[in-house]
This record gives sequence, C-alpha cells and structure tokens, in this order.
Amino acid sequence: MNHPAPPVTTTVPRFEELVAPSHWRTVDFISDLHLQASEPATVAAFQQYLEGTTADALFILGDLFEVWVGDDAMSEPGSFEARGCALLRAAAQRLSVYFMHGNRDFLAGPAFLAGCGITGLADPTVLVFGGQRYALSHGDLLCLDDVDYQRFRLQARSAAWQQQFLAQPLATRRAQARGIRQESEARKQSGATYADVDSPAAIAWMQAAGAHTLIHGHTHRPADHVLAPGLQRVVLSDWDATALPPRLETLRLSSAGLERLPLAPK
Amino acid sequence: MSNPQVELHIAGYGVITLELDAAKAPKSVENFLAYVNKGHYNNTIFHRVIPGFMVQGGGFEPGMTQKGTDAPIENEANNGLKNANYTVAMARTSDPHSATAQFFINVADNGFLNHTAPSAQGWGYAVFGKVVSGTDVVDKIKAVKTGRKGFHDDVPKEDVIIEKVVAL
Repeated sequence: MNHPAPPVTTTVPRFEELVAPSHWRTVDFISDLHLQASEPATVAAFQQYLEGTTADALFILGDLFEVWVGDDAMSEPGSFEARGCALLRAAAQRLSVYFMHGNRDFLAGPAFLAGCGITGLADPTVLVFGGQRYALSHGDLLCLDDVDYQRFRLQARSAAWQQQFLAQPLATRRAQARGIRQESEARKQSGATYADVDSPAAIAWMQAAGAHTLIHGHTHRPADHVLAPGLQRVVLSDWDATALPPRLETLRLSSAGLERLPLAPK
Repeated sequence: MSNPQVELHIAGYGVITLELDAAKAPKSVENFLAYVNKGHYNNTIFHRVIPGFMVQGGGFEPGMTQKGTDAPIENEANNGLKNANYTVAMARTSDPHSATAQFFINVADNGFLNHTAPSAQGWGYAVFGKVVSGTDVVDKIKAVKTGRKGFHDDVPKEDVIIEKVVAL
C-alpha cells in the first residue's frame, strides 16, 4: 500500500532584521576566508581588500577564521588572532563591519567583537537594503543531509558545551583544534562528499524572511541558483590566494543589484 | 499529577481539547507547551489536510508565511504511544530529531508512522497526546476542500485558522 508523504516540515529559524541606513550606497559580502597563519598570502589579500574597499559596510558571513578557540587567544602577544583583530579594527574605523559566525569560528565572542569594534550578526538575518529584503546566513544550517554535523552543531552551540570547552587552558584548546582540523583534512583528502544546501529548506527560509534572495557561504561552491521564479540563492566564494587562479572575490550589493568583484591584483 | 490539557480555538469551527502525555512524552510536551505559552500558535493555520491520514498545522500564518522556531528536539517516538486516530504527534524533517513547532492530528490509525527502529527510516513520529473533546471539529477540518498553493499540496482552499491555543 502506498502511504501519503509523512508529516514533514522544513524547519525555519527566527530571522533577525537589520535595516540598512539610508546613506549606505554599497555593501560587500564575504565568507570562508579561513584566515590562518599558515596561509599568509590570503591574509595579505584580505588586508589589501580592507584597505582598498569603497563599500560602506562589510558583511562577513562566517568562517573568516580557520578556527577560533576563544577570545582570550587575542590577548596572547603576537598571536594570529591579535593580528586578525588589528586588521578588522583598522577597517572598522572607515566602514561598518558585521560579523556572522561560521562553523569554524563560532566561538568568537563579545570580547572579540568589542576588541575589533565590529558588530555581531545573528544567523540568519534579513538585511533590508533599497527596499529589498536579503536573507543572510553562513549556510551550514541548511545542509540538512549532514546529519552528524547538525547534531554536533546543536551541541556545540549550547552554553554548557561552550563553557566546558572554554574552561580548558588555551594551549589545550589550540591542540584540540589542530586535531579536529587534521581529521577534517583527512576526510577531504579521502574524497568524502559534502552535503549542499537543501533547496526546499532554502525556499522555506526565503518565504519566512519575505526575501527574494538568500546569500550564504559555507559550501565553497560559488554560484547563482534560481530556486523558483523570483527566488535566488547566491553562494559566496571561499578565499584562497594560492589557488590557480586565486579565489579572492567579494559580492557587492548596490542600487544596481548584486555583482561579483574579483580582488584586483596588487 | 494529571496530564496537562490545551484548547485549540479554531475560527469558525470550534474548540479541540488535547490531553498531553507528560509521562510518556515529557520533552515533546514541554516543547509544545513552551510554544503555547509564548503564543506561537496563535493565528497559525492547518496548512496540510489529508482526509484518511492527518491534519497538520502550527507552522504557518494565513497566506502560507512560515514562522521561525526554536531549536529542534529529541524524537520520543520510542515511547510506546501509537499514531492512532485522534492522537497528536510532532511533524519533523527527514532527520528524526528535528521536530520544532509543527504538529499533526491523526485522523486514521497510521501505523506506518510508528517507531520501529532507532534508524533514520524507522524512528517514526512522536505521539505526545490525544484529542479528548472536539473530535467533531477535527472531522470538519479534515473534510475541507484543498488544493495546491505555492510549493505546497493539500492546502485548504479557505484558511483553517487556529485563533489561539490556551493551556488549561
């Protein structure tokens, strides 16, 4: 006997809303730079971008850092985190910088934001710009087929898990992060496939947000997808200055719409 | 302690009273009552109605605007409660442990929704209560005319609106 489809749902989180001030002419979106000490060329490209951009606001949609093991890492003299924060602080003097957590840097906390002079952004958020609504997310929550990861995410975003993790000495946390990264690299090398954004869920999010466009990162599969008439999913590029050709791209929003801008070589 | 009860006030249809099984489905009941108490279900609709199967609601506002929810909960379908006629259970995504706000009322004995194994296919749908009065209201809802609306099938042609849900 054929049964009807079970009582399915597509879960939609609550959206925060941010209304762009009327003087903003251009907004840039970036994600997945995975900044780390061992990739100096990408760090230099990010610095070059921050110093040169003419955008009024920058939205970082997750995984700016390869890993973030706690805000106290910033206070370690000469640490990579301190350097990253200094770059953001300099940029925040000139433009509004918004920071959304990714799956790698979700432990970046209030001390990080305050230290850099930037503003935290909930995932997801609706940006209202030029009378249009744009749904913004890192994108990991929409990769529903990564069931194990979704389970971990739920746990790792709980206050109890974070308190327990952050209670460990900084050196222990750094060592743990290295271990997790090695496992993740090994998985990548083994040719494991990664889930992509679930289309019905993305449509449900956009409908809930009253948005015609969803902008996200996470998947490292930059593309513009039309999910339904009038509903598009725009995927940001990851950054890698040593790739051939280099992947260094921002997505710019202006009154003319969305445009992908490659970072001009120095 | 007696089980909690809630009233679903359905505009133009009447009142459905649910008794929630806090002993066998404590997490589902706590979750459902949390949504009740924050007013989440007020002015939501039954958006998927299939006679001979179930009526599903609690996630959309009139006009098929989906509402945001809190974090998903653990699936309690292994609690021994069956998806029998006039029981109420949690809807979810394909992930067994993903129920948030949407629920459904079975309008038939839906054995195929019961828990059979702790696997993606076998988890089933967690029953957490039953209709104790207003089965006639449920019967009226399941008989409404439905059709396709946007991306959804089996949507009532005229909104079936849950005006409010009241914990007794």
